[in-house]
Amino acid sequence: MGKRAIFAAALAGAASLLMAPVFAQETKQETKKTSGQAMVSPMTQDRLNTADKNTNGFLLTNGNYAQTRFHPARQIGRDNVKNLRVAWIFQTDVKESLETSPIVIDGVMYVTTSFSHVYALDAKTGAEIWHYKHKMGPVTTYCCGPNNRGVQVLGDLVYLGTLDSKLVALNAKTGDLVWQSDIADPELGYSETMAPTVIKDKVLIGTNGGEYGIRGFVKAYDAKTGKLLWTFYTIPENSVGVWATKDATGRDMRRNIQAEKDQLAKTGDPYQRLGGGVWQNPAIDLATNRIYFVVGNPSPDLDGSNRPGDNLYTNSLVSLDLDTGKYVCHFQYIAHDVWDLDAASPPVLLDVKGKDGKVIPGVIHAGKTGHIYVHDRKDCSLIRFSEAMVAQENMWVLPTKEGARMLPGANGGVEWSPIATDPSQGLAYAINLHQPMTYHVENSPYPNGKLWLGGAFKVIPGETQSGNITAVDYNTGKIKWQVKTPEPMIGGILATAGGLVFTGEGNGKFAAYNSSNGKELWSFRAGAGVNAPPSTYMIDGKQYVVVGAGGNTQIDFRRGNNIIAFSLN
Amino acid sequence: MCGKLNMSVAVALAIASGVCAVTANAQNIEEKVQICAGCHGDDGKPIDKTIPAIWGQQQGYIYIQLRDYKRGDRRSDVMQPIASTMEREDMLAIAEYFSKKPWPDLGQPRAPKEIANRALRANSSIGCTGCHLDQFQGDGTVPRLAGMSRDYLTKTMADFRTRARGNNPGMSDLMLATAPEDAAALAEYLSGL
Repeated sequence: MGKRAIFAAALAGAASLLMAPVFAQETKQETKKTSGQAMVSPMTQDRLNTADKNTNGFLLTNGNYAQTRFHPARQIGRDNVKNLRVAWIFQTDVKESLETSPIVIDGVMYVTTSFSHVYALDAKTGAEIWHYKHKMGPVTTYCCGPNNRGVQVLGDLVYLGTLDSKLVALNAKTGDLVWQSDIADPELGYSETMAPTVIKDKVLIGTNGGEYGIRGFVKAYDAKTGKLLWTFYTIPENSVGVWATKDATGRDMRRNIQAEKDQLAKTGDPYQRLGGGVWQNPAIDLATNRIYFVVGNPSPDLDGSNRPGDNLYTNSLVSLDLDTGKYVCHFQYIAHDVWDLDAASPPVLLDVKGKDGKVIPGVIHAGKTGHIYVHDRKDCSLIRFSEAMVAQENMWVLPTKEGARMLPGANGGVEWSPIATDPSQGLAYAINLHQPMTYHVENSPYPNGKLWLGGAFKVIPGETQSGNITAVDYNTGKIKWQVKTPEPMIGGILATAGGLVFTGEGNGKFAAYNSSNGKELWSFRAGAGVNAPPSTYMIDGKQYVVVGAGGNTQIDFRRGNNIIAFSLN
Repeated sequence: MCGKLNMSVAVALAIASGVCAVTANAQNIEEKVQICAGCHGDDGKPIDKTIPAIWGQQQGYIYIQLRDYKRGDRRSDVMQPIASTMEREDMLAIAEYFSKKPWPDLGQPRAPKEIANRALRANSSIGCTGCHLDQFQGDGTVPRLAGMSRDYLTKTMADFRTRARGNNPGMSDLMLATAPEDAAALAEYLSGL
């Protein structure tokens, strides 16, 4: 056994100790029960597999495993949406950035807040059933706010990722802690804000940390015990790639390939601290047993001088085998990114027209570049990309010390916000930001888990910011309609069989639009930023639409603590 | 015990006497933190305006600073000898102790409106509240800035700009992208919160 192998074995031993799940009796967490138990039946895999046809529930973070965010409920439609009124408002204990995707199972709603709280609510009345407050460790290192984007349920357990990088399983009825597993070391920049994905007795979760020099991953845990089953590192040991000089759209990225090759010869492959966080849920192809997710930016964000090569698989769509976590295929949008224009919004599985016009299984992803990318699900290859949904200027000017102006700004385009789709119309709906920025570069060595931006992206004071809601025909790449908004948009969007899309803005507006032409049909003022993805469900024959209004840390929209449900009066 | 002495005298006395120094043999947290009061104040108000308030500061932040002093990632002739005697558990315990103390009112005035507006524009540009959070209260390993001494804030931002403060290059990058006049407005604004 060579030195490397001994070191690796020791590391694996230490890692297995670190990752051993801890059961509830060994830890003290706080769960407050307000009104007894949540009357939910155990969630079966069969029910989750058919979530896309379930009119009553909203069973998964993005509606279903394909992540279409298209819901079959149609009681609220274009003709009557004007009569939508508040059914109830629930105020959480946490007035901070709210990015939760509510899920609804058997009339029980599970929502989360910043700082990794979970609430079970009566989805009909908004009454609190239980509240789980995670006992946060002293060390948390996270980017872009103390957010949490939701939970998922399998069997009798609710699964939560926490800011201090733990995977937590709670009793779905009582909120009591059942087990928790350490995912990674928060002192090195790892944290969790995404909702885990439950599938076939596994819990899948990625990691934040692309701003801190982590080595990103997706991990699979045993859903019953919390034992680690497999790890896929989003940064392979050979991260160099093919020295791509053009982005997915064919534009030159102004790379100095020779300088990078010289650096590679000097310092070797930078894979161990190359970032590559995974912000959002994978889509699951149940037919092929594959998962599809996107990988975020390389570390440090703006300085590429110490990370030669394409920095695989940053800024990429990646597919794995669900059972083993083995690589299947990838497609990189921007090799050697120095603008943080990465991939964060969750991919969606749809049937799409291939290059020859025949309908094939596809994957679509909305990028921070402002394009929607359409891929062949078989090999991840790119079929087409959409017209730009936001202004693009001066791409790809390299960041400078003084700051170089380029559009889009580093938040996009489409940020982590999930898109919605309506397959019957062949449309994808995305919310976009327009924030003119200058890109600044600085050089500094790896800072042991501290913020490692390699420069700064600065919003240009005085330049107008805005946003938009855009519908794209994913079979042609053409924009079907677009609604301009006064502020940059971040949060998410929902489409329904009622011919509507619902989305919110940072100024507190929450609105419904005709999904065919973008005409605004209804709106409500929430008093705080509506920067979370809406959900919908039915109870006792009545359809509800629910959304969080708690503002946003990243764009600094007005904070609040409301979960608001609407129904027809 | 350590009282309001001159900073260097207090620390020198503390280290020399061993009474206030943090050692593995220290019996309880009150003994472990005695040395800190010499500079950071026995009522939470530091004895000098360039010394940070640590009462009510975020636990993770205090811990990371102590860790970095020990590692040499953050330099200070005063703090490095003190932190070098500490183990991780000591650091976490001390950090927890101070995090549970009330934040001291340093009696600093609110910034005038034009200064506040300039500071808020700078915040919008580089996104301070993206990490320091709403109302600049901090969380985890990110420090509270609201109500911190203006002189300390001014010095710290200047030290980030020159990288004299070397344990957070991301902050250095952001401060290098911030005009000195904006940094001055931020110091005045934050100190008055």
